[in-house]
Amino acid sequence: MACSREQRTLIDTYLDEEMTTREAEQLERHLQECPECRSYVDECSTAVARLRSMARLEAPAGFTDQVMKSLPKQPKRRQWKTWIRRHPMVITAATFFLVFLISLSSVMGGEETVSVEGSGQYLIDESQNMVVVPEDAVVEGDLVVRNGSVEVNGEVTGDVVIINGQHLQASTARISGEIEEIDESMEWLWYEIKDFMKDAFSFSGNGTENEDSR
Amino acid sequence: MDIVVKKIVREVKGGNQEAFAELVELYKDRVYHVAYRILGNVHEAQDVSQEAFLRAYTNLDSYDENRKFSTWIYRIATNLAIDRIRKKKPDFNLEDRVGGTENLDYHSQFADETPLPEEQIVKLEMQEWVQDEIMQLPPKYRTAVILKYIEDLSLKEIAEVMNLPVATVKTRIHRGREALRKRLG
Repeated sequence: MACSREQRTLIDTYLDEEMTTREAEQLERHLQECPECRSYVDECSTAVARLRSMARLEAPAGFTDQVMKSLPKQPKRRQWKTWIRRHPMVITAATFFLVFLISLSSVMGGEETVSVEGSGQYLIDESQNMVVVPEDAVVEGDLVVRNGSVEVNGEVTGDVVIINGQHLQASTARISGEIEEIDESMEWLWYEIKDFMKDAFSFSGNGTENEDSR
Repeated sequence: MDIVVKKIVREVKGGNQEAFAELVELYKDRVYHVAYRILGNVHEAQDVSQEAFLRAYTNLDSYDENRKFSTWIYRIATNLAIDRIRKKKPDFNLEDRVGGTENLDYHSQFADETPLPEEQIVKLEMQEWVQDEIMQLPPKYRTAVILKYIEDLSLKEIAEVMNLPVATVKTRIHRGREALRKRLG
């Protein structure tokens, strides 16, 4: 080759497309005059074009599955953590349930005295563990009695619920809702869950209406 | 794209193994293609690419999130592929002296202007022929040439993949191109 090594370096720079326009024009003028350098550039360009024309290949089918199968098994603890992260609702529910159990145990472990929930007129006889709704009295909404019996002579517009007690009903009683007697803690638990769900649904459904009726 | 990749990487680092499948989906074709061009063999290419993803998974903690994931996975894959070649046959260098000679290096051994027999060109498909010629390149030139002209990476990216200075990468591309000029030009 007649041309110098520097010429070769220049051509490399030219082929790398790293020349300024002026340098490139200068070299191209040289290529017009020098068939050897011209064929060198042509050969390089052809080789590069052939490389660039190579077909793109795709990974074989099922490739990802095979990779995933080859991965080391995750330790149990991590799987559990992942599972928790992916199911936050379960954790929320579990937390609710825990709080619920704690409140339940505090109630269950509490004194055996009678307690009443409900708004209206009623009498509490603590010596006999008895709640009496007198004949002309009206209890608005539900009446819930724990650790005692109930005698309804008047009116209850909602349900009557007795936990660990009995229901004694007079003929004059007017109870609009249902009467539930719950003796065992599991049953009571079930009742509380039902109640909670009912509340939850009516809250989302009716907004503040539920609040007002209490 | 980078944000998506970052998010997946964090998921996997956080212990969500299944999220890794998304990374494999994103890069499997590129990784497989490079592995195939270096090795010239379907089975080995599949083997090496799977191994590359497995290594990426087990070493994910060492991946620097500020860098491109593609560069990192290319690096793992090309290293594995080159290792595979080295184990298969003894490596040689264009600069190595030809045994039993004083001043003859392998550069002089390339049949300079000898054209390929016509029947051979006819027989081989163009693609196979070019692939065969790539396979004749010494591994270190092979990777540089493939990343440059087939994968179309920038010099800077190739330098990162190969963990070499840009100037060295350029030299390798020139040497590789020069060798291919004689055979493909």
